[in-house]
Amino acid sequence: MNCTIRHSIACCISTICLVTLTSTVRAQWTVPTAEELKMTSQPEVPGAAAVYLFREEITDDKLHMWSKYVRLKVLTEGGKKYANVELTQYSSSGYGGYTVNDIAGRTIHPDGTIIPFTGKPMEKLVEKGRDYKAMAKVFTLPDVEVGSIIEYRYVLRYDNYLIAPDWYVQTELYTRKAHYLWRPTGEDVLTRSERGDAVTSSVAWTPILPKGFEVKQSSNAGTASAEGGRSILELSIHDIAPQPDEEYMPPLSSLTYRVLFYYSPYRTMDEYWKNEGKGWSKLNDKFIGPGNKVKEAVKELVGPTDTADQKLRKFYATVMKLDNTVYSRNRSAAEEKSEGLNPPKSTDDILERKRGTDDQIAQLYVAMARAAGMKAYVMSVTDRDRAMFMPQYLTFSQLNDLIAIVVVDGKEVFFDPGQRYCPYGHLAWKHTWASGLRQTDGGSALAETPGQPYTASRTQRIAELTMDEHGEMKGTVKMTWTGAPALSWRQTYLRGDSTSLNRDLRVAMEQLLANGMEVKVLGYQNADDYEQPLIVSYEVKGQVGSSTGKRLLAPNDIFETNSKPIFAHEKREALIAFEYANTVQDVVRIRYPRSLGVESLPVNQQFALQKFAVYGLKTESTPTSFTVHREFDLGTIMYKVDEYPILRGFYNKFETKDQEPVVLKVLAPGAAGN
Amino acid sequence: MSSIAFIAKVGTEPCEDIIPAASVAGKMKWPTRSVAASLGIAVFLGLTLPALAKDSVPDWVRAAAALSVPHYSVETNAVVLLDDTTYTVAADGRAVEHRRRVVRILRPQGRNEGIFRVEFDKDTKILSMNVWSIGPDGHEYAMKDKDYADVGAAGMEGAFEFADYKLRVASAPGADAGAVVAYEYEQRCRPFLTEKTWYFQEDIPSLSQRFALILPAGYTYGTVWAHHAPIKAEDLESGPGHTAWEVKNAPGINLERVPLPPSSDSLAGRMTIHYAGPGLSFATAGTWQSIGEWYGQLSKDRLIATPEITVKAQELAASKTDFYDKTEAVAEFVQKQIRYVAIEVGIGGYQPHAAGDVFHNRYGDCKDKATLVSAMLSTVGVHAALMMVDTDRGVVDPDAPSLVGNHMIAAIEVPKGYESPHLHSVVTAKTGRRYLIFDPTWDQTPFGQLEHGLQGSYGVLLEGDDSQAIELPLLDPKLNTIRRRGAFRLDSDGVLKGTVVEKRFGDAAEYRREMYTLADTKQQTDSLDHTLEQDLTTFSATDVKVQNIASLNQDLTLSYSLSADRYAKSMGALLLVRPRVLGRLAMATDRKERTVPIDLGETMQATDDYSIELPDGYTVDEIPDPVKLDLDFAEYQSASELKGNTLHYMRTYTIRQVTLPAGRYADVQKLARTIAADEEGRAVLKKK
Repeated sequence: MNCTIRHSIACCISTICLVTLTSTVRAQWTVPTAEELKMTSQPEVPGAAAVYLFREEITDDKLHMWSKYVRLKVLTEGGKKYANVELTQYSSSGYGGYTVNDIAGRTIHPDGTIIPFTGKPMEKLVEKGRDYKAMAKVFTLPDVEVGSIIEYRYVLRYDNYLIAPDWYVQTELYTRKAHYLWRPTGEDVLTRSERGDAVTSSVAWTPILPKGFEVKQSSNAGTASAEGGRSILELSIHDIAPQPDEEYMPPLSSLTYRVLFYYSPYRTMDEYWKNEGKGWSKLNDKFIGPGNKVKEAVKELVGPTDTADQKLRKFYATVMKLDNTVYSRNRSAAEEKSEGLNPPKSTDDILERKRGTDDQIAQLYVAMARAAGMKAYVMSVTDRDRAMFMPQYLTFSQLNDLIAIVVVDGKEVFFDPGQRYCPYGHLAWKHTWASGLRQTDGGSALAETPGQPYTASRTQRIAELTMDEHGEMKGTVKMTWTGAPALSWRQTYLRGDSTSLNRDLRVAMEQLLANGMEVKVLGYQNADDYEQPLIVSYEVKGQVGSSTGKRLLAPNDIFETNSKPIFAHEKREALIAFEYANTVQDVVRIRYPRSLGVESLPVNQQFALQKFAVYGLKTESTPTSFTVHREFDLGTIMYKVDEYPILRGFYNKFETKDQEPVVLKVLAPGAAGN
Repeated sequence: MSSIAFIAKVGTEPCEDIIPAASVAGKMKWPTRSVAASLGIAVFLGLTLPALAKDSVPDWVRAAAALSVPHYSVETNAVVLLDDTTYTVAADGRAVEHRRRVVRILRPQGRNEGIFRVEFDKDTKILSMNVWSIGPDGHEYAMKDKDYADVGAAGMEGAFEFADYKLRVASAPGADAGAVVAYEYEQRCRPFLTEKTWYFQEDIPSLSQRFALILPAGYTYGTVWAHHAPIKAEDLESGPGHTAWEVKNAPGINLERVPLPPSSDSLAGRMTIHYAGPGLSFATAGTWQSIGEWYGQLSKDRLIATPEITVKAQELAASKTDFYDKTEAVAEFVQKQIRYVAIEVGIGGYQPHAAGDVFHNRYGDCKDKATLVSAMLSTVGVHAALMMVDTDRGVVDPDAPSLVGNHMIAAIEVPKGYESPHLHSVVTAKTGRRYLIFDPTWDQTPFGQLEHGLQGSYGVLLEGDDSQAIELPLLDPKLNTIRRRGAFRLDSDGVLKGTVVEKRFGDAAEYRREMYTLADTKQQTDSLDHTLEQDLTTFSATDVKVQNIASLNQDLTLSYSLSADRYAKSMGALLLVRPRVLGRLAMATDRKERTVPIDLGETMQATDDYSIELPDGYTVDEIPDPVKLDLDFAEYQSASELKGNTLHYMRTYTIRQVTLPAGRYADVQKLARTIAADEEGRAVLKKK
């Protein structure tokens, strides 16, 4: 079976674009066309609540101003909500702020009647703290009805700094037309990050746009304007579908149509990641060390005959015992101060405090490996449950978590020490098949993380049950988890306590089984031992079989009793993605009284979805019992839209198979036990 | 009464208290204030960094922290060690509240108890606030003013809401299992109120709750109690007019995992104090009449119809002579044409906007809409009063007159002797006058009926001298119906094909009417798929038609063609068919001992009627036995029968009562089991 992610969804991203820099809000409302006044729907989006007739965003660096203009047609009752507008403004003693001004709006009825917004936006507090204040200006456009066109505009003004705009072209609504414009400054710009300051005279952008559209660059040079020579970046676009919203989607929210700008001293993507990555790597090395405390600890941990693997396992066990504050809680500055602690400056501090964030613990693990003389690196990845890494997008903000890479016997091995209870040598699923930036000898490089085979994440469900002649069952269930599901349960445990784990385990089992079954958690093993499977034992009791008089119908797999179709919808617009490859193995043995006998068992069957997934069901019986073996293996986790029909067909087929009952007949008294 | 445009219970009155986590159990359309506020907090709170103050933890916190805690259930998140409120009224009637609270966190799940929120606005200024904590390791912390953040009101998604109340929020350091967190604050109370409600039960247990009342000379007070027997007041030695009440060992009310739960606020004990004195020109006393008169003062000017209103109302009622027709036209105008928009500043949480403004703007909150109904009807010769209610059943207590409530509706007086088959939600006041109860905010409930959440509850008729609490009727189940009918043909491969017609009326149609009004076609298709996937694995619904979406007095009718592959399961020589093709009615119950009343939600009736033409070559070997269970509060019956070559299934499920005592839980469990078993019943066909 193939065990791959198979399809890159980043292929639609254009390469980074650059322009070297050299230097009035629309004042009039738009007269609606007759077609706009009388339209009742947008054919491309049947039943849409509203449609953007036009959206415009203009950013002007010289004026320190960003303006927005919206024309929106309300098509249904649901579209009326777009008449309520809330705009946040922010002030801070440390980082400046921005204000919202020049709010104007109007409503146009389908008959052309114009109702201007004459009120004053109300101001309300969003949040105010020691050195910041966020306020909202809120208003609602008047007399909005189905068929109305609502129109409004406003301006954001900011001092002391510049904002490179982000143009989010694709929204929840269909957009007929949109126009975006940026007049960047003609001055040199100081960009600042924790990796250092840089002066730049250029801007760059990452466009993710449909075919046929691009950002156009022009210049005011040659005009009579005093701004002559300033570049203008502009995008005119039309007929943009709403962003998709479906179940089992990859995190497409990071890949909707957009253009992301930044002031950048770099001329290519490679140059950016190479240079900025170097600074990032140095910062990491500074924190990682290793310092003397880490070195001392490593000395005490390792024995003279330990292999590299043995050493790494000891280091891993050490960091796994630390309080990972992502799963417990962050300490406030007051708490740290009361303990005489300042913000940690190195992995020595993390080791000494016996607690740290996920990233700090990953850094400590790398420090210990280095202290033992190994080559070890950190890698910052974009978590696959949040977004997909885009190298063309020149920002570190897309990177989320640190993982560790250690060279063992000449081969690089990936570790996830920041994910408490992740098994040694494995990655949490959100860090598999992920991309990001890694340290290398003397610098950094873009890299990908390995995937995990389906065998790495296993769920085994074993039920031993006894059923009476009325279909009431009781017995035990044993759940065994390894890999991703085990990690998920263990981290649930970390966030709560044994009582909450017990309850969550019980509720999860109740949701699997027939409604009304009584479930009791008898106990669990290895909740803290991340190298061992997590095993949970249950006692279950309740009505499972359904009596028809002459027969008793029992589910073939009690764990699938409540399953619902994964892909109920016939149509699909977006890629399909599962979290991780995995295997689920069920064994259900049900003993029944001699007054019953098997009349019909589900036929043994196996279905495969090419080499991507496979399902099998086998049944066997004795005069007083039947046993069902079910296995489902998912090896490939991402599918293209055109593969949806076969994927859906495969799922529907085995989901139907799962619903085939075992038919037991009531035997005549004399026949019992034959 | 808290701000009437919101649904919030405990701690919503400014100067009421810090909002306990337990009180965020909003169940209706709008989020509670505390939920809304917590959303805001989630966004920004990380920006505040508590600093160590010089002030040390006071002795009263240490004393409370030293108290031994009884053995509670392992699921108890925290315990209130001390909650002490002193309510001081000055000679001019102005009041100040001083409160102290100490909580011990018992589990990680109790960490949120360390986040304190005190609600305030321009009338209810916080005069002082202090927060302390003792971490599990014994470290002591004292926060300073600069460590707090003020968070503004957040509205419900999609609606326009403006309120000037805010929350002062503090996140106590060290708030983890084993920690003790405490606060103390002093706050001005809203000037125009002369009642104070003390809530002494929440989702966590408490060792000690105490409320002290300090009144100036010449003042008098009275108390009313809800969900708790009155407690004897203790005269304090500090002076005349100084009184206190104390509740020890109040159990927590945690309904988080209770099936069919009542509202926690319908169970929580509370005491309302009404006071009067020479400094107060208008006071509520412990009677509904005084509350009605108080509210009448607030609202009388707002109920006046403007010429613009008069013209519109008379236009709507023109040519209509029948009372029902006339009032329906006006009421539906307000119900459908006035957008829900809440603008509340200061007293605006209680006082409606002028009817003329509401009409002109075409928007308003619940009290604004009820006010406009009253104003418009007054111009066509119909009297309508306002009625205060709470959207959680059982919160308004007829024996505890107070402003506790969160919603405003209209009570339209029905002419003497007038009868109409369309008037269902009618009550009779002690005066003998009849009122049709109508909620112009609930936009999917037909005129003449009342949304199920208010049925069986109490409403406060605000009618001056005649103000009173009136029990709102439980409506006939046949006014709230789901009727599904399907005609199918089954082939020998197990494929089921046919047509389905589903009719819904009353609140049972509410979700679908909203969905077919607000959602786009894809969302509507997805919704139908999700409904069908409850009963089918591989299916296709086509030719979907929906009728009467906006006609509340007609059935919302959904029809479609349905095809389901492998519906019947071929098992050797047998073909197994589920006669109940669609629709799940079984409710979720648990097997735990029941200690709180049961809330069945709504009176209703559901019927299913399916016919399945069976394939040739098969004979019916077995069909499910008929079922009949009548439990007075509800009834369920079903029957499968073979007529020729057609399998016919019919069932009817009726809920007649909505609130049951805990002792009836066994019957509810039996009902749930019976329905679940019937829904899984199979007919067995055999090859001929």
